[in-house]
Amino acid sequence: MTVAVLDAREHNTVFLGDDRYFVLEDAGRLFLVPDKCPHRGGPLSLGRRTPDERVVCPWHGSRITCAYLRRTSVPLVRRGSEITAYLPGDNGAHPVFLAKRRILANARGGGA
Amino acid sequence: MAVAEVRQRGARTAAPLAELVAQYASHRLFRNTSDVRILGNPYRRPLNPDTLGEIDFSRPIREEEFSSYGSLAANRILLNFYESESIILPAEGLASARRDFEAFYDDDLRQTGLALRPELERYAFGFLDDAVDVTGAWTSEMLRTHFLRIVEEADAEVTPGLQAIRRLGEPRDGADMLLVQLALDGLTEASAMARNLGGSYGPEQSELFKIFIDEFGAGVFEAKHSTIFEKLIASRGLKTDVHAYWHFYLTGSIAIINYFNYLTDDHRRFFRYAGALTFAEWTFAKFFTDLAAILRDLFGDAVDTHYCDEHGHIDVHHGRMTFENLLLGLARKHGDDVIPDLVRGVEEIRLLARLTDEEFIRQVTWADELPRYVEEGRRLRPAASEVVETANVEPGHLFGTRTHDEPTVVSVETGEVDLLVGPENPPFPLRAGDAILVPAGCLHGLRARTPSEWSRATVEA
Repeated sequence: MTVAVLDAREHNTVFLGDDRYFVLEDAGRLFLVPDKCPHRGGPLSLGRRTPDERVVCPWHGSRITCAYLRRTSVPLVRRGSEITAYLPGDNGAHPVFLAKRRILANARGGGA
Repeated sequence: MAVAEVRQRGARTAAPLAELVAQYASHRLFRNTSDVRILGNPYRRPLNPDTLGEIDFSRPIREEEFSSYGSLAANRILLNFYESESIILPAEGLASARRDFEAFYDDDLRQTGLALRPELERYAFGFLDDAVDVTGAWTSEMLRTHFLRIVEEADAEVTPGLQAIRRLGEPRDGADMLLVQLALDGLTEASAMARNLGGSYGPEQSELFKIFIDEFGAGVFEAKHSTIFEKLIASRGLKTDVHAYWHFYLTGSIAIINYFNYLTDDHRRFFRYAGALTFAEWTFAKFFTDLAAILRDLFGDAVDTHYCDEHGHIDVHHGRMTFENLLLGLARKHGDDVIPDLVRGVEEIRLLARLTDEEFIRQVTWADELPRYVEEGRRLRPAASEVVETANVEPGHLFGTRTHDEPTVVSVETGEVDLLVGPENPPFPLRAGDAILVPAGCLHGLRARTPSEWSRATVEA
């Protein structure tokens, strides 16, 4: 596994090799989620959040529940705004890159 | 309002916390006396009842308010409540304190404590919910990696508070102040742990019990950790009475003990307890080894460091035992779902330890530089915005210690008073016309040498 440390005020996306993760905000808590729809790998961070707490994948419209995303999120500790996350696999083979991107999946107001 | 009435209201309708606090603190055991040290009577625990009305109990403290006066007062009250669930008797016998013994364990007082406890715990510890969170799909392997990573980080340096002692002009005062803080737990060692010994939870229970046995010297009083702690502080000329230094416990020192009681008093918090205990046991080994080195450097052979040496040795074992067999044992047995709580306990005690250490550094650094703060007080006195209190006192007046939430200038208008910033620090005299800056969160008390008048006024931070 690989350790990623980020400040949630400055970054919301983690790159490790070909994998990408984004910070999902849900009920006031932060979850680091693979940016990969379980259907065909679409970018969930660009999905639309629905009032019934699902993320609609922008590729094929799969509706992924936030409960599922929480369950499959990466182990994370938040201390204040500092996040330490343990990314599976890789074992340090690739460097970790951090970024701040627009996370549409955290925006409210999408239609069901 | 009668205690019984408060009990009913608290149990049924959750009376406002401030009201319950006022009721609890009005008990005769918690009134202030003229005593600076409290000897021979562990039931007298002054709460400054006249000052508690200034505290806003309507919302929990925030992390940055950890050393606020509300936080100090809440933790003092919680400590009283938690300790009313264990047996404390004066070492010299009960004869002179029998009535207070009965009162401390009195059912009505306890019921008031029960009524206020949940809200007061939220007030004092609610900030942890915002400060720390653990999410995601954890596995035992990740728990192992995370724990070893953070204890390696913790073990990589001498605790900043210990480093700060060495930098003081009077490091001996700083070391004694630290021993006073440790006395809070050292003289009643492992009382919180005792709450988690009962019940039935398999090999992990036996592991905890082995640690408990070590704390209690395998049943030999001379080897009990609290006994050898007494020898340590006695070798420094400090009093060994339980809570002799009640007035000089810093907020963090109380909060850490309360945190373990908070976790063990509600068994739903058991997994957080296991995490917190594991981190504490692991890091104690290095802390006490470093402390022993400082004490020997400062006091030579005159100080009895057996207590520190014992912890430096046995907590290497306790750290390994709690990590392998309690923390990972519970995760193995009860599944990955309990791991977030285990990690949360680790992170919460880690945060509390950091806040406590920072508070200690602020306190001993201020106490070490009082003449400089007199200069600051003199400079700031004209700018002090609002006089929030004036007092006219005679020698022998009621004594209490407190902190202020804002930087405060204390001015002596007439007479002569002593500023007390630690139980064994030399009293710092202030005479008519003197003023001193008390930084926010710094613990202190004033004692009149002659009929005196003083005032305090807040200044811009």
